[in-house]
Amino acid sequence: MRAVIYLLTAVLLAGCGFQKEREDSRLALLKTTNPEPIQIERDGISVEKIREEVEAINEIYDAAVIKGDHNVLVAYKVRHLNRFQMKKIEKSLKERLDKEYDDETFVVSSDYKIFLEAVRLREDMDAGKTNEKEADKRLHEIIRLKREKT
Amino acid sequence: MSNNEKKTPAQQQYDKLNQKHELKRPVLKNCLRAFFVGGLICTIGQAITYFYIYFFDFTEQTAGNPTVATVVFLAMLLTGFGIYDHLGQYAGAGSAVPVSGFGNAVVSAAIEHRTEGFVLGVGGNMFKLAGSVILFGVFSAFVIALFKTILMQWGGL
Repeated sequence: MRAVIYLLTAVLLAGCGFQKEREDSRLALLKTTNPEPIQIERDGISVEKIREEVEAINEIYDAAVIKGDHNVLVAYKVRHLNRFQMKKIEKSLKERLDKEYDDETFVVSSDYKIFLEAVRLREDMDAGKTNEKEADKRLHEIIRLKREKT
Repeated sequence: MSNNEKKTPAQQQYDKLNQKHELKRPVLKNCLRAFFVGGLICTIGQAITYFYIYFFDFTEQTAGNPTVATVVFLAMLLTGFGIYDHLGQYAGAGSAVPVSGFGNAVVSAAIEHRTEGFVLGVGGNMFKLAGSVILFGVFSAFVIALFKTILMQWGGL
């Protein structure tokens, strides 16, 4: 019994051990983070405006926006009681953004992993670990992750 | 109590005596135990999901598969060490309904029939309980997939 308790404790506490420099991303799935949006490609629309627009929706409470060369990634968290309508919210948000900014390609996701990766990218850019070219590459990886089904 | 009419007076008297001494089933207590232990197992499952999301390339959607595998594996270990039996006795459905109960059903049957040999004993009895669950899952998934494919071919979805 003791061995099992040790094993479970080790699994549960594994998250506390390292990645000390990433303060926000460590708790990004548990609390509201409000990450600053990232504008990798300067032309066109303002990411700040998109974030404000997304956060104005009642069912959504935390949004990360990344604008890359070809795509704009919008990752957000849905309020707990509205999580039953997740697909509906995603569909209506995508339609709304596509309609409003018709020259941009939007990738919309309510997945925690996508949100977490967006926060991590923001932190790495703030810490100077990632330049814009690498950030664009990471954005593509996040989008690939979003599309993965298995 | 329709059987009562057929029973002899002695049998009816015995039934009364039996009812008097019968222990009452603690339904509320059992429900609370099942609720908390089942909830605890699900909390551990959620922690494992977050572990996979944080440290590996799994999204919320894909982290379900390794989480289920891990929980079943842990339940198998616990069954092998004899701990899950006690948990099952204490929590009842709370330990049987989550996916860990599935692992327990497979391994406990395998352990029980080990003395009858590997093929007819372990192999033949391992899936006696879990086999019907797997079969039902696979077959219903096949039927749903068939319906979805037909509907998609018609352009309905």
